[in-house]
Amino acid sequence: MNNEAFAQLVDAHYAPLYRFALSLARNGSDAGDLVQQTFFIWATKGEGIRELSKAKSWLFTTLYREFLRGRRRDSRSSSLEDLPAGEKEPAAEDIDRVARIDAATVMEVLQTVDEAYRAPLTLFYIEDMSYQEIAEALEVPIGTVMSRLSRGKSQLRMALERAEAAAGSKVLPFPNSKGARAS
Amino acid sequence: MTNEEAKFILSAYRPNGSDSGDAAFGEALRMASGDPALGDWFGRSRAHDAAVAQKLRQIAPPSGLREAILAGARVSGRETRSGPGWGWIAGLAAAAMVAIGVFTMRAPVRPQADAADFAGFAINDMVSAKHGSRGEASGALIARLQTEGAKMPSGADIDFDRMRDTGCRTLSFKGRQVLEVCFVRDGSLFHFYMMRGVSSPGGAAAPGPSFVTLAAGAAAVWSDGRFDYAVSSTAGVEAIRRLL
Repeated sequence: MNNEAFAQLVDAHYAPLYRFALSLARNGSDAGDLVQQTFFIWATKGEGIRELSKAKSWLFTTLYREFLRGRRRDSRSSSLEDLPAGEKEPAAEDIDRVARIDAATVMEVLQTVDEAYRAPLTLFYIEDMSYQEIAEALEVPIGTVMSRLSRGKSQLRMALERAEAAAGSKVLPFPNSKGARAS
Repeated sequence: MTNEEAKFILSAYRPNGSDSGDAAFGEALRMASGDPALGDWFGRSRAHDAAVAQKLRQIAPPSGLREAILAGARVSGRETRSGPGWGWIAGLAAAAMVAIGVFTMRAPVRPQADAADFAGFAINDMVSAKHGSRGEASGALIARLQTEGAKMPSGADIDFDRMRDTGCRTLSFKGRQVLEVCFVRDGSLFHFYMMRGVSSPGGAAAPGPSFVTLAAGAAAVWSDGRFDYAVSSTAGVEAIRRLL
């Protein structure tokens, strides 16, 4: 692959890859490293993939593998069986809530979702991947992807609700200038 | 299929409707169109998905990331031809040093390749090798490095040959002997490397410290002319910066 073609590949994928990495690594510095590492591996190994249509899946798979490889497993990580089942149905106020919250906060809330759900959720939202594409990228069965999307969305809705409640409890309402009265 | 089963399947349905032709959703979609309660749920679910997706896509990568990726690829071409075991890490380190130059403008814009290689060597050794130095001279150096607030020693204070000959862990970097000791400061583990400088000015490392951050860890490299030094750690570049 020549420099121009490589630059085109980077331009097409580095932003969504960064968002995916940010949701996984939970900080911008590590996310940038993961993206650089992924393209570095492409430059050294991935050029064997001649079908550029498969490059996207390859890049996301590689980034996810690198994340899993570099991450320290700590005792707090839960197995899927330990995770609570999703219970939060989407309500009209959930949609309004997302509209009120800024993008960075939505990302921060997404980062609190259990890791097993976070990866498929991020690919679903950010890259508009189908469940089959997510299964291929994360190397998990299709049924697992569907289950994680269902539970993950519920967990995200609950987390967004908690985040807004927490933000609201810290902010005093600003008095309307017409309605404000001296007491 | 129950409504709960339909909801489970429809959770994977993309909000832009591009899954409408997928047979896996067929029965669930038919149920949603015939059952008002399920249809309302599906409408809210898609609207919520669209709102979240729209927000997340507003997150922009940091400026300089694209340039760093392209610089890293250029370095990778050179490193893959030389192909030593830690070459890819060194290539990443070189790319990261360019990236640091782009992001902060504090590191040299074009760092010496050997300095990046030495940083990559230090990070790779930190994560992949078995460590442990013995001997009185090594012990004295470790004690000094672990002293709170102490700056990194210079070559004038260290008897390189005595340390090597009395049990200090000794490695090889491009044919040059490297001494390594591990030490703990502020609860974090660090690895200190030193090797004799070569005849070229500054040896492998530039005189001032240059910093490299990779997913596996961070390193700083510097030189006093007589010796080249590196410190690596998983504690991050700020922790290393505090030592210098």
